[in-house]
Amino acid sequence: MKDLLTPRERFGLLVIDEPQDRVPIFPLVTAHAARVAGIPVREYYTDGAAMARSQLVAQETYGIDFISFFSEVGLVAEALGSQYVYPEDDLPLLTRPKWTDLTKVDDRLVDPVRDGRLRVYLDAVTYAYEARGDTVPILAYVPAPFTTAQQLVDQEAFLLGLLTEPERVKELLAYATRSITRFCRAIIGAGGLPILVDPLASGSVISAEHYREFALPSEAEVIRYLHRYDLDVVLHICGDTRATIAMMAETGADLLSIDRIEMADAVAGAGERCRVIGNYDTSAILLSDPKSIEREVAEMTTAGKKCPKGFVAATGCEVPVDTPTDNVRAFVRAARQAGFNPDYGLRRIV
Amino acid sequence: MSPTPEWADPRPARVGFDEWLELFERVPDDLIERYHYYGDSEAWSKYLFPPQTFAIYGARHLKRLKFDNSLAALRMWGFVQNETERLFRARQTGRRVIATMGDLGAVPVIVNSFPGCVAFYPDCIWWTPFVMESRVLFDAAAELGIGDATCFSRAALGAFAKHSYFPDPDLVIASTGASCDDYSGVEQLAEQFVGEMMWVEMPMRCGMGPMGPMRHMLVREYERVVERMVNLTGHQVTDDELRQGVRAANRVRKLVRRLRELASRHGALAALEMMVVEFGNLHHYSDITEWPNVLDHLLATAEARVAAGTPVVSGDALRVVWVTPPADPLLLTYVEDAGARVVGTEYVINQALEVIDESKPGLEAIAESFMAASLIGTSRQRAESVIRQARERQAEGVIISGILGGSHCAMETRLISDIVKQELDLPVLEFDVAPPSNEIGRQLQTRIDAFLEVLRSRR
Repeated sequence: MKDLLTPRERFGLLVIDEPQDRVPIFPLVTAHAARVAGIPVREYYTDGAAMARSQLVAQETYGIDFISFFSEVGLVAEALGSQYVYPEDDLPLLTRPKWTDLTKVDDRLVDPVRDGRLRVYLDAVTYAYEARGDTVPILAYVPAPFTTAQQLVDQEAFLLGLLTEPERVKELLAYATRSITRFCRAIIGAGGLPILVDPLASGSVISAEHYREFALPSEAEVIRYLHRYDLDVVLHICGDTRATIAMMAETGADLLSIDRIEMADAVAGAGERCRVIGNYDTSAILLSDPKSIEREVAEMTTAGKKCPKGFVAATGCEVPVDTPTDNVRAFVRAARQAGFNPDYGLRRIV
Repeated sequence: MSPTPEWADPRPARVGFDEWLELFERVPDDLIERYHYYGDSEAWSKYLFPPQTFAIYGARHLKRLKFDNSLAALRMWGFVQNETERLFRARQTGRRVIATMGDLGAVPVIVNSFPGCVAFYPDCIWWTPFVMESRVLFDAAAELGIGDATCFSRAALGAFAKHSYFPDPDLVIASTGASCDDYSGVEQLAEQFVGEMMWVEMPMRCGMGPMGPMRHMLVREYERVVERMVNLTGHQVTDDELRQGVRAANRVRKLVRRLRELASRHGALAALEMMVVEFGNLHHYSDITEWPNVLDHLLATAEARVAAGTPVVSGDALRVVWVTPPADPLLLTYVEDAGARVVGTEYVINQALEVIDESKPGLEAIAESFMAASLIGTSRQRAESVIRQARERQAEGVIISGILGGSHCAMETRLISDIVKQELDLPVLEFDVAPPSNEIGRQLQTRIDAFLEVLRSRR
């Protein structure tokens, strides 16, 4: 079945509350793209052209509706001074955060061209935009302040600080926010749509109260900045978000990318205000078989289509690097079929 | 007085994409919140956004154009680029969306006289492949039988087929007759995608003399349009309402006339912005209420520049008249970068530039203004318009940017060129606009450079 719309046209309709020819499909293919393209993972996240080529190959191979650049959540923290190692065929690992405790922050602001690997992302966005920007939305994940802060300070000290030094934590969040918005601006200039990703603000890590006090305001601030540009903002929080789903909508995000929460609960909590992106189990896409995946994705998509503001058939989190390609193909096949809109484009007789 | 006291424009200049990103960072939130289309106050009706916003949604050419650095120009670009969303919002908020095709300027005056109706031109989609640097719409048109030998306006057919560039119209009013034959073909093929298409006959202008029978025929055609609109809306439009529609159109036409004057005589606005301004006369970018406010803002900016003696395009630049709108806007940026300025245009929309006679009954006045149309007469008549403008503005050369298949006469470019050369002894550059690309081809660059060098050498 040939698509009537390009991914860009489809996404364009979604964000202005119009029906599409089928639901957009977005298994979160990030570093898995390196496998599809046959290059080492380290090359993927250290070379912008390689990152872009991998994503272009993956997008075409699977027929998915977005190109999305991401490797790990330490990106901005690294640019601000945290240290990482780059295993040859695995994702970067944090070896030393910038600070061991919640000391007073400095006045550093990232330079997106020079610091860390921010330039890799910008190069990748530029490359992909020139190659396919007319037909496919180009997305770039940006770690949110709360997650970035936990990469800047020893994580235990940070989490303890939520209870003992909340003001210091907020200073740190403001510090991270300044650099994050600066990085967002550079992505905007390159033609990419920033996606805010805040996995360490998930209910699997912090309480709902802490989410409201610390993570939400800083997410909202970045989203406000992106709304100055009239961009449709995706907020991705993987893990358990049952207790925070309604609060996630309060950030002002236009689309919520969710993981471990029942679709019905997500729709009840945020579906009137936000489009929902989700949420097939990433363990299943790695370990299950194509037939089971097809059945489950069809069920998920059928349920998701009821979301009043719109739905994107996605995985709950990143497609694991070593996921069999047949499994991703099964995901896409099922989502296309179940997400098809037979009423689209029918003649409107006045 | 500045229309926006909280904002001071920088010294007038044409700036690139990256510079507008820096400028936009300084725009206060209050200003972004201030401007809304359809007189609405919903968050979705804001439109003061920079080129980056639209580039992210696929308008790749914006990265390569140069823009006027005034707030008024930013506002104009945001408004224009936002049109697709605006049309969908029109439908969502209960307005009737009427596609008008082919006549370029007259029928929307009638449609906009009906309360709650929004007229738009699918014809203008011809810019989309260039702005997006994309073949998507051309490929869609090709699948329906119209290929690369046809005018770029075939993009409109692709847009009808996709149902994603504008909402399915409540009614399509398609003009045909003495006009572009390619576009008539596009209209015919588009009919399969619409609920109802109403055909309106456009007359041929046989000479420059009185237009009696032709004008009467057109009035009768417009009466049919009114009747169909009454059936659609249930609203019995009065002559007063039609006159009001004419006055609303005239408000825009008068503003644009003044802007053309300031741009051509004083370089107060650049060619790219002026092309957008002129084409706004067709259907006011689907919002007859807000577009004049955008123009007011531009006019205040242009007048302030003239008063301060700070044009955006140098007065020393080579003066050229441009014939036929360049589907690729990068051509205008390139020519201005190379040291020329556009002092006159013959963009085949003369009928939309004419101020309509408000003393006459509505339909009669609209019909009379339409008789100035570029495409319903002879090539000599178009050439005479070019000659008149070239003389008035002391043009030093004429550029004719042809569109393969995009004229009602295959020889038109050559005919206009010959007449202009004969009567004015001016150099003329003729070329066909290339398909969408991220750059202007080397060969054409060289031809433009050489042409401008010739003009320079004649000073």
